[in-house]
Amino acid sequence: MSTPKQVPQAYYDLLEQIQAIDFVLVELNLYLDTHPNDAESIQQFNQCSYESRKLKKQFEKQFGPLMHFGYSYSNYPWDWIDVPWPWQV
Amino acid sequence: MDNTNTKYYYPYISPFDPCKPIVIKSYSTPPHLYMGFQPPNLPQFSTAREALFRGTLWPALYDTYPPEKAREE
Repeated sequence: MSTPKQVPQAYYDLLEQIQAIDFVLVELNLYLDTHPNDAESIQQFNQCSYESRKLKKQFEKQFGPLMHFGYSYSNYPWDWIDVPWPWQV
Repeated sequence: MDNTNTKYYYPYISPFDPCKPIVIKSYSTPPHLYMGFQPPNLPQFSTAREALFRGTLWPALYDTYPPEKAREE
């Protein structure tokens, strides 16, 4: 019985970075809802957004799609159904 | 302004209460209660990871939210 596919530690490290930057984006988003004129925070928000997309692209190049329904490109063959599923990560 | 993160009070204990008396009770008072409208340019945690693990981007709003409130005597 062959052991199931294991993902390297880099998978989790990169995922944690994405999680952290997305958390900062949520915080800034909520802050900016009540402080629309705070230019500095808007600039930080845009920087973080750029960083988040960069990290996600990097992740997807290495480990396949991060999101489905068109939010991520697919490799060939269709690998969204590969393990680990999001809830298995 | 006294903005500790946990406050305590001492409920009335009736002599006719059959149950074990609860001497002290506590409730959470996180910093945002004392902040009102958040001022701009508050200092932030240095890394996104630390902000994630602390649960907020700004140290001024940080609270550990201790689960079972430490009993203060």
